[in-house]
Amino acid sequence: MNLSFKEKGLIASLIVTLLVFGNYFINVFQRLRTDSAGDTGLVGIIIVIVLVIILEATIHGFLSIQAEEEDERDKLIEKVSYRNAYWCLNIGVWFLIVQVFLDSRFMPLAGLTTTPYGLANLLLFSFIVAEVVMFITQLYYYRKGI
Amino acid sequence: MSMKISNNIRRLRFDADEMSQQALAEQIGVTRQTVIAIEKDKYSPSLEVAFKIANVFAVPLEEVFSYQ
Repeated sequence: MNLSFKEKGLIASLIVTLLVFGNYFINVFQRLRTDSAGDTGLVGIIIVIVLVIILEATIHGFLSIQAEEEDERDKLIEKVSYRNAYWCLNIGVWFLIVQVFLDSRFMPLAGLTTTPYGLANLLLFSFIVAEVVMFITQLYYYRKGI
Repeated sequence: MSMKISNNIRRLRFDADEMSQQALAEQIGVTRQTVIAIEKDKYSPSLEVAFKIANVFAVPLEEVFSYQ
């Protein structure tokens, strides 16, 4: 399969996001099933963010040798992908707002504790899902055409 | 039956002394990937880029693109 620089970069970013944040959220959801009140999880998220920055910078540093400037097609694909990501984030944020207003009625149904740590991580989860949707949308339109 | 935009860029490049996709891309201010996508009918360019392509080959717009 002949992949452009853009597609290689997107695949790399998608893999890094899925691996690093996937691993992080598996741990988070396990902790949310056991009451971890008082634990902010700040160190964990800092490690994950630093790891993502290092991996992304390294991979894109290698790929930038063949980088091309953005043009109208890139911008159009980016715009469509942002719209899809926006809807995912929107759903996640509204879910959390409803959680707060209803005094966290839904999360315990899934066996999750409703600490600020839990809510913050669900918000982060929405961001990451939106990010993944953005990468997948871009890959789809670079392959299929727009 | 649905209508779609098709183009003759590949033939026009061939007629223009086998101009490369990269050379065309540089002249119209887009990436080579975008020229490839346009040629394969996977992307319909903006009106501005469409006119630039026609200018490069010195032909009217309807000789480059058709809607059928």
